[in-house]
Amino acid sequence: MTTETLTIDNESDFMRSPEKVMRLDRMGSSFPTRLSFMRTLIRRMARENWKFERTRREVDKDGYGLSIYAVTTPHRTYSLVGFTQKIPDEMRTDRVIAEVWDATFNLFDGVPTQDDIDYLANNTPKQEGGRYRPSELALARANKSLRVFKNAVDSLSKGQQPDFDLLKSVGYLMRTSAVYGSGKFGCADRAKIADREECKAPFQMELLTVYLIRWFTIDSVEELAKERGGKKAVKLNKTSRQFIGVGNATGLGMAPFLLKHPALIHNWVVAKETALARVRSIETPLEGTLEAFHKSLLQVSQHIDEWNVDDALQSDRILCLTDEIQALRIWCEDELNISRPYPWNGIYHFVEDNFSLECQEMIVSLIIEPHGLLVDDLAETMSTNMIPKFDADMSLAQLKEVVEDSYQWATNIDFSLKESQHHFWYYSEDKLEPRFGSKGVDDGVEQEMPLAIGRDVSELNNLLSVTSNDISISEFVMMYPEFRHIIRRIQNTFLRPYSEVQDNLLSESMRPIDLLRFKLAFFGASKFDPKSDLWTRVSMYQGAPMPDQLSQPNYDSWSFPIAERPNHILK
Amino acid sequence: MSKSYLKISLNEILFYFTRAASGVDVPIGLSEDFARSNIWISENGFDPSLVSLQALDNLDSKTSSLSIKFEKANEDPHLFCPENKLLSALKASVSCVDWFEVKGSSSQLKISNVDSPFLVISALGANKLIGLKVLWIDQDKNNYQVNFIDSEEWEIVSSSTNPIELSSNADIFISPIESDHIIHKDNSIKKFNITENKLEILNNGVEVKENWQEIYDYFSRCLVKSSAESRASGAGAGLVDSD
Repeated sequence: MTTETLTIDNESDFMRSPEKVMRLDRMGSSFPTRLSFMRTLIRRMARENWKFERTRREVDKDGYGLSIYAVTTPHRTYSLVGFTQKIPDEMRTDRVIAEVWDATFNLFDGVPTQDDIDYLANNTPKQEGGRYRPSELALARANKSLRVFKNAVDSLSKGQQPDFDLLKSVGYLMRTSAVYGSGKFGCADRAKIADREECKAPFQMELLTVYLIRWFTIDSVEELAKERGGKKAVKLNKTSRQFIGVGNATGLGMAPFLLKHPALIHNWVVAKETALARVRSIETPLEGTLEAFHKSLLQVSQHIDEWNVDDALQSDRILCLTDEIQALRIWCEDELNISRPYPWNGIYHFVEDNFSLECQEMIVSLIIEPHGLLVDDLAETMSTNMIPKFDADMSLAQLKEVVEDSYQWATNIDFSLKESQHHFWYYSEDKLEPRFGSKGVDDGVEQEMPLAIGRDVSELNNLLSVTSNDISISEFVMMYPEFRHIIRRIQNTFLRPYSEVQDNLLSESMRPIDLLRFKLAFFGASKFDPKSDLWTRVSMYQGAPMPDQLSQPNYDSWSFPIAERPNHILK
Repeated sequence: MSKSYLKISLNEILFYFTRAASGVDVPIGLSEDFARSNIWISENGFDPSLVSLQALDNLDSKTSSLSIKFEKANEDPHLFCPENKLLSALKASVSCVDWFEVKGSSSQLKISNVDSPFLVISALGANKLIGLKVLWIDQDKNNYQVNFIDSEEWEIVSSSTNPIELSSNADIFISPIESDHIIHKDNSIKKFNITENKLEILNNGVEVKENWQEIYDYFSRCLVKSSAESRASGAGAGLVDSD
């Protein structure tokens, strides 16, 4: 069967419901898919034959100074302008409140002049303390993994490859701790670039920045090794180069974004769920796809084996996942289980009925993976420029109906219980760092961020239940302006059923890390490594092709990357 | 982010102005609309901090109020503040937009004693309400007319040299533009093209001048003081990270 003849008219029958998908525990079990934004970007780079070039490297013998890496697309050039400096070890922190970083970057729109570079040299190393212009599309910083970076430079300078086990255990040379775009600190607004083809998918310029930073980190250790070792120095072998990703430390800043962009989140989720539904609705598998899936189960077993974290809860989940993937492999080896009609749906149901959420979501990614021709078009649907409007023409009766139909998850929560309103979100005066507080413990509840969607809906519902339908909605908000924001939200989300997290974000048991993982998975991050309930480390672009590998036929085959042991060790 | 004469982005306008309004106890829904209005102000080349500071100051000093009433005296619809205060433009503008969203641009509305008429203008513009004219004579006897011609163009008609964004409190009248509206010879016309102005701002940023610091001060009221405990635990991460 070919893609062209495949019937997917019934895909809606296979869609998972918002009530199932938009729950924190499932969101906190997410994995990247082939629709993740890094994957989309890499496919475009390869398809359009983007050209990459290091255009300047003016650094001292320790690698401190200026570097510029340019990428030329069919229509324009973007330049990563990077500054490196020596910093005290004790000041190396992933937090927003950091003041210094090993390396700082801007993605410049075009080719910077010397005046531009001088301007950035005075601002970029200050990060949030600097000011940027619409010519800067992103602002980022990264710190070294000291052990891996040092080992890589030392080894390469002596003509040896880095300690493979060390490299494997960390997975990156440097770790970004923030990548800002969309008008932050004066950078270009999204509207400036939103119509450019290469910017239409979400976060493409931010992720291009990270991709170039990855190249910068690899280039930096190789150049430093050459500086130290001279002719004796070698470059990283191909396997290590491709395995090395960029680390990322992500904290609470991502959570408010998710909650403040419900229409965007709906588009992300509905694309992924549509992809899954299309695959589940296939009656007879496309040629080679089941074989690819079988192989991916083997690969993913190794990926899980290499996914080691300190967090006790995540470690338990990984252990369980190991067993479940093994059990699934055995189940799939039985022809009777997969030779029936709708085999993907059968696999999905078997996993859903028997295994953990972590395993269910991994299998979602794995069964979508061999179906690029069937699902990749969905990547084009994941953006939105929608600005939510208040609909004054809606009747109060209609609003009541919408709340009753679409917000049961909120109106069913008992917010009179103390534990239902345990937490609150706020911005600290400390560099505007987002923080998560506990009522009765932390100060600042009066300045709570307006992220309590469930509670606000519940309070609105209570008031609506004692309000006559005779007044109009504009009269209602004239009397009760404190509900204008939640009414606008409801009006703009009820037709987008995947836009709301259907859980209480204030409850005592809420783990912001679930929101972070959900968003990071859409970005394409892997190896989630929770450091607490409020922040996590991940790897980005691990296994992705380097610029000189984008023309290879397997450029898109880097999901669930594994560290292939280099040949010299195998010998 | 506290210096004067900065260039800021439209996203920063949204972020800071939403919270600046919250800083003077404006409900979040109105604050969001206020910030959207300030984006429109910026896109059209005006300094949003200059336009909006007076309205925030008025709320902070209780000179103005968010209390609003609607009545239909002699069949003429009318919004006013029932208290003996100025009507805050933050409230007047959303109620006015709601009115025209429901009634359409063939209707009319009077708003009494609103403190910053240009904020009402910006709300109509931000919500793309067209085919309307807005008239007022402010306390300094400056007269203004703003015409929302179509989705691309709007214009200011005035005999005054006083900047429209500084126009003081006034009764304003909103009604449909007549097809053959005549411009008095003493008046000058300033035309605006929304797409061109926006493009200019996206490429160059929004310049904010000396009033920005006070907007930022109102914004800062939304920030929570940092303590040793919240610094250590509020973000969940450690203070030193090495690996």
